[in-house]
Parts: sequence; C-alpha cells; structure tokens
Amino acid sequence: MNGKEEAAGCERIVEMDVNLGQVSIRNPKGSPTELPKSFRFDAVYESSCRQSELYDETVRPLVDSVLQGFNGTVFAYGQTGTGKTYTMQGVWAEPEKRGIIPNSFEHIFTHISRSQDQQYLVRASYLEIYQEEIRDLLNKDENKKLELKEKPETGVYIKDLSSFVTKNVKEIEHVMNVGNQTRSVASTNMNEYSSRSHAIFVVTVECSELGLDGENHIRVGKLNLVDLAGSERQSKTGVQGERLKEATKINLSLSALGNVISALVDGKSTHIPYRDSKLTRLLEDSLGGNAKTIMVATIGPASCNYEESLITLRYANRTKNIKNKPRINEDPKDALLREFQEEIARLKAQLERRGMLSKKRRKSQRKIILEGEEIIDEGEETEDNIEKDMENYLKEQKETLEKEKVAIQDDHNLVAEEKQKLLEEKEKMMEDLKKEQEATEQLAAKFKVGQ
Amino acid sequence: MDPAVPPPGRRTALSSCPAVPPPGRRTALSLCPAVLRLHRRWRCRVTEGEMAAREGGLEQDLSVKYSQVLRLLENQLGILWAGLEEMEKAQTYLEDAESLYNQYTKEIGTPPLDTHEHFLGEEERLSEQERHKRFEKVYTHTLYYLAQVYKHLDMNEKAAWYCHTTLQRQLQFTHYNPVEWAINAATLSQYYITKQLYMEGRLCLAAANVIINQAGGTSSESPAEESEEERDHRDQLQQKRAEIARCWIKYCLNLLQDSRKLLEDDVGEMDWDRQEELKIRLKKEEEEKEQGRKSAVMFGSSETFDLIQSVEEKVSCVYPVDFSKARDVFLVGQNYVQEAKEFFQLDDHVTDHIEVVQDHSALFKVLAFFEEDQERRCKMHKRRIDMLEAVYTELNPQYYLLVCRQLQFEIADTYYEMMELKVSIANRLDELDSHNIKKINHLAQSAIMYYTLFLDSLKNSEKKFPERLEADVLRPALVCKFRIGWLYSKMITSDPKLQLTNLQQSVECYRFVVDYCEMQPEAAKVMEPELELCVEMATLLPARMEKLKAKIVAFS
Repeated sequence: MNGKEEAAGCERIVEMDVNLGQVSIRNPKGSPTELPKSFRFDAVYESSCRQSELYDETVRPLVDSVLQGFNGTVFAYGQTGTGKTYTMQGVWAEPEKRGIIPNSFEHIFTHISRSQDQQYLVRASYLEIYQEEIRDLLNKDENKKLELKEKPETGVYIKDLSSFVTKNVKEIEHVMNVGNQTRSVASTNMNEYSSRSHAIFVVTVECSELGLDGENHIRVGKLNLVDLAGSERQSKTGVQGERLKEATKINLSLSALGNVISALVDGKSTHIPYRDSKLTRLLEDSLGGNAKTIMVATIGPASCNYEESLITLRYANRTKNIKNKPRINEDPKDALLREFQEEIARLKAQLERRGMLSKKRRKSQRKIILEGEEIIDEGEETEDNIEKDMENYLKEQKETLEKEKVAIQDDHNLVAEEKQKLLEEKEKMMEDLKKEQEATEQLAAKFKVGQ
Repeated sequence: MDPAVPPPGRRTALSSCPAVPPPGRRTALSLCPAVLRLHRRWRCRVTEGEMAAREGGLEQDLSVKYSQVLRLLENQLGILWAGLEEMEKAQTYLEDAESLYNQYTKEIGTPPLDTHEHFLGEEERLSEQERHKRFEKVYTHTLYYLAQVYKHLDMNEKAAWYCHTTLQRQLQFTHYNPVEWAINAATLSQYYITKQLYMEGRLCLAAANVIINQAGGTSSESPAEESEEERDHRDQLQQKRAEIARCWIKYCLNLLQDSRKLLEDDVGEMDWDRQEELKIRLKKEEEEKEQGRKSAVMFGSSETFDLIQSVEEKVSCVYPVDFSKARDVFLVGQNYVQEAKEFFQLDDHVTDHIEVVQDHSALFKVLAFFEEDQERRCKMHKRRIDMLEAVYTELNPQYYLLVCRQLQFEIADTYYEMMELKVSIANRLDELDSHNIKKINHLAQSAIMYYTLFLDSLKNSEKKFPERLEADVLRPALVCKFRIGWLYSKMITSDPKLQLTNLQQSVECYRFVVDYCEMQPEAAKVMEPELELCVEMATLLPARMEKLKAKIVAFS
C-alpha cells in the first residue's frame, strides 16, 4: 500500500499465494465470518517482484513463439494507480525497471541481431477501438474510420491500417510514442475517453529463411499488445449498497431496445444480427485455437479499492474461461452403434463355436500336432479348432516368456551382462516359438487342402 | 399563499422551481433531458395543484386528470430514484404506472393534458392527437423499462412480451427508425424460435421484411452519381437485409429440425407411428391456433398488416410432417441462403459466409431425413460435400483453425452417411458389383481422410498428438478414432492381405480409444456408449485376424 492509502486508514485486504497462483480478497465491509474470495491464475506476482521476473517467467515464452511464426496477445487490465502502466511500460530509461513492452522489443531485436541465416522484417501498427469504431493512431487523419475485413488466406485484418517498418528498439519506441500522443489528445477532448477505448499495438515479425529445398520460406508472427478499456472505473455510482452488480442499469433510450432483445436470445441455434465486438473479432484467434494469450491484471491491495479490485479479478477470471464459439457438431449416429453391437455379437458367436469345441480336445490335439506324425480323424472339428488350440497354447507360452522377460529386466540383482544374456536366451525361445507357430499353420493348411 | 412558491405565471413558474436531483443520479439524468424537464415541471405542478385544489379553484376532474398523469410520470421516474440496482422496487413502481395507464384509458379515455400544457393558454395547447401521442409515448417507455426490469429479474418470457409490445407500439404510433425496428423484430423472432413459438417468430420476421422496405432508397439515379454517404447507407441497408435473411434461415432450419426430433425413432429414421400422431395433433391445434391468433400481439397499422400477412403466407409455421411440406420450408430457407450469400461473400466476410454455408448444409441434412428414396438422399449429401469442400479448400488453417475443424468433421460425417447409403442401396438391389464396391470404398476412404485431417489438426508444433486432449475436442477426437476404426473394417476387398491391413488399422484405432480412456478417466465418462464397444472389438478382431492370416498362408 502506498502512503496515501495508509494515511487514509485503509487496510490491506489482498493476499497473494505465489506458489498456488492464488489471490484472495477480503470484503472490508463484510461480516467477520464472511470468507475471502479466491481466484486462481496461472501466475501471480507480488509487489515485491522484479519486472524481469514477470517477463522471463510469463512473457518470454510468448514472444519466443511469435518469433517462431505464431500469434500472441498480451492483455492489460487494471485501474490507474494499480501499476498497470508500470507493468506494461515501466521506466524505459532504466533497464531494471523496464516493463513488458520495452522488454518485448528488446527481446525481438536482440534475437534478430543474433540470427545468422534468417532475414527479418519488423513492422508496427497502432490502433484503437472506441465505441465500436476503429481508428488508426498513426494516421494524421484521426477521423478516418477503418473497416474490419476478413480474407480466407490471411484471416481478419484492418483495411488501410498504416504500418511502419522498424529496424531497432528506438524506432519502434518512437512509433509507440506517436500513437500515444494521438491517444492523449483525444482523451483531453472527451470525457472518460481512455476508460472506454481499447488500444492495440501490433508488432508483426516476418522471418524469411532459405530452406533445404532452395526455396525461401516465410513465416509471420504477430504480437498484439492490448490495453483494455474499462480499466478506469467511473466514480462510484453513489450506490452504497453492498452487492456489486454489473450492467444492471436501466437504459432510458429506446435505441437500446435491441440490446435488451438480443440478451433474451440463446445463441446456439440462432442468428443474432449484432456484430461481435470488434475487439473479439480482431483477436479471435488469440482467444482460442493455437495462439498464446496472456492477461495481465493489476489490482491494489488497499480496502478503499475493494470494489474495483473485485471487478478486475472477476474480469480476469472470466477471460480465462473464454471458450471460442465454433464447436464441433457431432451427430450421435445411433444407427452406427446398433450396427456395431450386431457385428460384435456376430464375432462373439463365431468365437464361441470354436472355443467350445477346442476345450474338449485340447490336450490330445496339441500332442498330435507337435509330434507331427499322426493325423486323427477329427470328425466335427474344423481347422479353426486346431488353430484355436494352437493359438491358445502358443499364447500361453508367449505370456510365460514375457513374464519371465519382465522379471529379468526388473531383477536388480543380476549384473547387466548376465541380464543381457538371459534376455537373449529368452528372445531365442520366442523365435523358436514363432517358428513353431508357422509350422503348425502350414500343417493346418496342408491338412485343410488335403480335406 | 406560500411565499416561497411564486404564483403560476408562464415562464416564471418554470424557472424558479426547485429541481434538485439527488447526487450521483446526475449522470443518468443528464442523458435524458426530456425526463429532467418533466420532472422539474412535475415538482412545481404538484405543489401548485395541491394548493389550487385546496382553494377549490380547479375543477375536480381536471385535478384528477393531471394528478394521474403526473403519478404516471412519477412512477416512471421512480426507477431512477429507486436505485438502478434495486429491481424489485423499480418493478413495483413501473407496474403501478402500467396499471394507472390502463385504468386511466379505460375510465377516462381522452388524453390528459401534457404536463407543460397546464402552463399554456388555450390557443397554444396541443391538438388532441398530439397530446394523445405524447401520452402514449410515455407509456411505451414504461413498457420498455419493464422489459428491462423483467430481464434483470430473469423473467424472460415476460420480458419478451414487453419487448414485443414495445415494438408494436412503436409501429402504431409511427415512432421508429425502420432499419432499427426491422433488426429488432428479426432478433426477437430468434427468441421465439428457441421457444418453438413459430407463429410469433414468423410474424416478427414478416414484419421485419415489410418495415425495412420503408427505409429510404438512394436518391440519385445512377450508382456513379452516388455520394460516399449514400453508398455507405446503401451498403448498410444491404447488410441489414442480409442479416434478416439469416434470421429467416434459422427459422426454417429450426422448424425442420424440431419437427425431426418429434418424428424420428431411436436410430434416426422416420417413425411412421409418430408421424401419424403428429398429423393428428397438428390438425387439432390448427383450430385452436386460429383463435389464438387474434389474441396474439399483431403488428402494424392497416396498411402494413396486409403486407405482413402476405409474407407470412409464403411459409408455414407448423411442423412439417412429410417430405412435401418439409421441402416447402426447405425451399424458403434456401432462397434466403442465396440472399444472404449475395452480401456475405467469402472474400470479405469469411466467417459469416461460412456460417451461411453451414446452415445450407444443415438444411439439406434435415431434408434428407424426410426423403424416403435413398438414391435421392445420397444426392442431397453430395450437394453438402460440394459446398463444404468448396469453402474448406479456401481457408488457411492457421487463421481459421476452429472453423476448419468443424468443416473436416462435418465433411467426414457426410461421406460416411453416403457410404452407408450406397451399401444399403447395393444390398437391396443385389448389385454389389465391382463398380459399386469401388464407389463405396472411395467414400469410406474419403471419410477416413477427413477424420484423419481433423485428428492431425490437433497435433502440436512438433507434429505430435497431444498427450492430453482439451475438453472441447476430447469427444470429437475419440469419436474420430472410433469411426475410422469402423470404416476400415467396412472396406470391401477380396484380397485377404489388404483385408488384414485394414483390420490391423481398425484394431489400432480401437486400442487407442481404450488406452486413452484408461489413462484419462474423464475420457471414459465422455465416451460411454462407444468405449465398451471398442473394448470388445479390440479383443475380438485379433481373432478374426488370425483366421485371415491362416488363409493367407494357405493360399500362398
């Protein structure tokens, strides 16, 4: 907690268990028996953690995968004063205090400078989404609204979004600053602007390599750095109530009737004519599928921020559980199951017929075939029975050998060489057994032919 | 006279009235200046009215008139005071306002003076018509707020009814934006179809079709002269129409699918007894429905009413019981597919386009259920394969991984269906000749290929199959293995060596399922009916294979 919070008499209500990956938050106004709420995450970091710890543990693997040609997204969500800016940006000038963004840039360009056989091209774009409109933060014409489109080959993209080639950390830093300036201008002009707009900084890394086939192979990875809206919570609505419900406002304008209606519709077998939020569509393959995603949520430990912290934790928790929409529609095919059962019944019947007969004459049969001398008139027996008996016998032998083999391997008292020798012996016996099997099959075949 | 309150003049009364919204509500109130004005005036008027009444200066029935209106307003505003999170309180206030309105219109009839009119001279007052409009508008808002409150209280059925009524009133009092209205009606139809209320759903969709046509077309003659704004507007309109078309597609699809659920037996074929039952039931309901219609909330003024009805007449809202009725619904759905595809083309709207194609495939699939002739069924499945493969080959799986998986699975399933049909046809006609066998095997191979593509899509970057499958692909993946196993054993060949290879593949598939379920118990739960079949097959097939081996040796 910082000085201001302590001075205000706030107490610490957040506990972190780094090992378990758990955050607990206690309601400062709750009854003593009210249990703290816990949330589990893949990783939690205390205020005492270093920037580099966070980066190396959590973010580095994601940026590595981007360099391999995959997509990765880092979301940042949190109220001002909780360290969101510090975590994402940090202090660029001091290496120890650099945040995720400068560290990622450093990581990318260092990797590039060390590469020998590959050619890299790094581009940067910066856009924002405000009230479902997309704006290019790097374009002087701020009022131009951009369209979200999709191509089957390349997926979702933004038409006419400007991108700049950057050759080093300084250049990409510059691009980011330009965009940030555009953003801050807008926020002075409009109230609550930054709390309602999402900003996305996109780093595209193209790698071209000469393959063994003499052809140039290109792979492209995209790193999305997303600053989520809603992080700046509006001043409390004046409701002193203890329960915290989100989005229960009554909308006074009839133009929101559509929202009310679409909230009634269960989406599974229907079409709801309202676009998916632009943010979701843009980052669709980050929210499911193969791409990696990291959500960084920052909260304050003091009791005076209880409501905001709870909202942040809930939001982050929800994001963890986002299931992508496309589901596999499976047709149960009961007819297939029935056919299956019939087939099994058929096979079983066949086997039983063979099985029953072989039990009776097993012993004598075996003896006869092994000696290879006499051939008895079997009468009702079919060649299946002989084979089945043979099978069973050989199977038994095989099993015994296997068991012995395992016993040998497990026997720690035996010296290695001895072990090896014994195993070889067993192997030879298996071989012999196999040859026997083949011989009997041939015999049985001959017998069949003879019949 | 209370010196604090000035006598009712004209402007003075308005400007000096106290208007103090409670702190914190300022934001909400600032969004609705009209409401704010009304509130201010109300506050004054109540005080004045009470005083005037005390002095006996006003007619009895005028005070009743306006006090009721004012109470109506008060209740509406009550929702702001009651706290935006205290739904039950808000509900009480609003329901009160609602019953007041009903009582008022029943007992008194003529619209009351709009609040500000009390300050105006006779000549400046509104026409009765205008007054009526404003009065009703307030009530429309009450209904709209009630819809929201019911939604928050999870009373969805009531919420839907109130939304419907709000829409109806918007039309009735011609206070709406046609495009917005049409989209809202189309969305509401989707609610109705999930509740199997197809008559209401159809009504909403038909109304949407009619009302969106009221949206202005382009003013300029030729496309070349269009301004950018006009072009944008036209594009927007086209898109909205395409969205409505998609809602229609879902209507047709759900109607057919719900009908199928009522008619199918336990192996997914038409149950003739059930069909009879449904026919009888529907006939009975037809008579009831005619009466029900009148009580349902109808849309529109007299002009729109006829137009809407003519759209409704183009498609049934009753469960189709046989092929002919099913086909009628199918054809309507197919028309809307074409309309939707005109706007949602693959090149710019990949995801939307594919969803429409998937719906088209689903329409064929459900129609096939109603078709008795197996050869014709096969043709329907062939159409599905053609359309699904066409989009599948265009997609880059790196960006459309999940959609590709859906398509792979569906294409594989469809090939399987076709194969089964061909086998059945050949057996029935006793035509299992080499030509048919080749066809059947090819279909089986294609199914295997697509099931395998699906499984390959689950592999990680090192091309290895994951040790542990994610929950949402677990069952589909294991079902793939199960089906591949089955398909291998169904391949027809006279070459025993080949047969042996096929059986070997089959066994491996079943073993995979068995082993995986052993290692991951949650998989066993998910694969319940199939797992024991796999276990059985995994032990029985090797025996069959031994038999074959012997045969091979014998003939070599």
